[in-house]
Amino acid sequence: MGVLENRFQDNVVVASMDKLLGWARSTSPWFFQFGLACCAIEMMATAASRYDLMRIGMIPRSSPRQADVMIVAGTVTMKMSLRVKKLYEQMADPKYVIAMGSCATSGGPYWQYGYHVLKGVDLVVPVDVYIPGCPPRPEALIEGLLKLQEKIQAERPLTKKIA
Amino acid sequence: MSSDQDKLIAESVEKALQGDMDAINNIEDRVTRSKAKAALVKAKREAKAAVAEETPRAEKSKAEEAPQAEQTFAAQVAVALEKKFPGSLDTEDVNGHIQMKGEQWYEAAQYLRDNPDFLFDSLQCVTGYDYGTSEDLEVRYNLHSMTHHHAIEIRIKIDRNDSKIPSVEQVWRIGDWFERETYDMYGIEFVGHSNMTRILCPEDWAGWPLRKDYETQEMYHGIVVPKVKDGWE
Repeated sequence: MGVLENRFQDNVVVASMDKLLGWARSTSPWFFQFGLACCAIEMMATAASRYDLMRIGMIPRSSPRQADVMIVAGTVTMKMSLRVKKLYEQMADPKYVIAMGSCATSGGPYWQYGYHVLKGVDLVVPVDVYIPGCPPRPEALIEGLLKLQEKIQAERPLTKKIA
Repeated sequence: MSSDQDKLIAESVEKALQGDMDAINNIEDRVTRSKAKAALVKAKREAKAAVAEETPRAEKSKAEEAPQAEQTFAAQVAVALEKKFPGSLDTEDVNGHIQMKGEQWYEAAQYLRDNPDFLFDSLQCVTGYDYGTSEDLEVRYNLHSMTHHHAIEIRIKIDRNDSKIPSVEQVWRIGDWFERETYDMYGIEFVGHSNMTRILCPEDWAGWPLRKDYETQEMYHGIVVPKVKDGWE
């Protein structure tokens, strides 16, 4: 703060409220920590110190009430799909979903013959970002998260929608 | 060739085979010496061939004995079961495993566990098996004894439309989850089990996935199970 300190009178920042909200939301999307299969390992690696999700403002939360983003990391079975839906409904608005890996995106290797696998998590919850890969590398997950940040930033939550 | 020469050659070859090469090298006559050497090579080759012929025969006889011993053990168990529970065997033909009938299975399991000759204290696996649409279902039990280090496989055939079999959960506690899994996948009901419910599939799932005639349900709680692929591929 060296160059700015003690150099101004009472000051004001002018910005649109929408942009300010978008900036605040996009830079702290806390994610809901639950892993379903091997993708969860990559998600853990991404959250750990080497890739460090904290630097883009993401902290894992153990409760859906405190989370903004749900990363569906892994194979969603039919049995689990009802639980995933219930967890999504328990999250507070605004909420976002990332489908990580081919299983969550489309059923992956269980596409044709897996009687017990949900063919894409978008059948039960709305998905914002799809990340391909089996499993995706941490770089791919970060890319997806940055895409989600762009999407959140572009939102105009306060502006009246003109039909 | 004189008989003296033959005798000399035979003697020297004999000595050479025992390690005394001088017996041949010291022969004065050159022709006799070379003849003796040729005879020695021949004798050595014959000895080697005889050894080679003998070894596989010995191995073969061992290999023949081994499965026989195994068979005798399975047959031994089968005989004991037949003696203790007359009519409990499905077929007398014992071929590494024992084919039993379901009726007396619980008592037979207790007998196999407690009899000091067998002491099958470990149930290692319970497997369901579907022979195909027109055939029966089968349950297979793999037993192992920690004391005697021997193992046996018991197979029990059951009717596809009335798939019931006595539970051995009370005999081997591990049977609890094994039997629940078999029930989950094949719909084989283990009578006497304390908690005969699905273990992997959702509790309200329809059908038995590993049966050959299984068809996946279309909807599950309003969710499409087989994805509608029109317009996708």
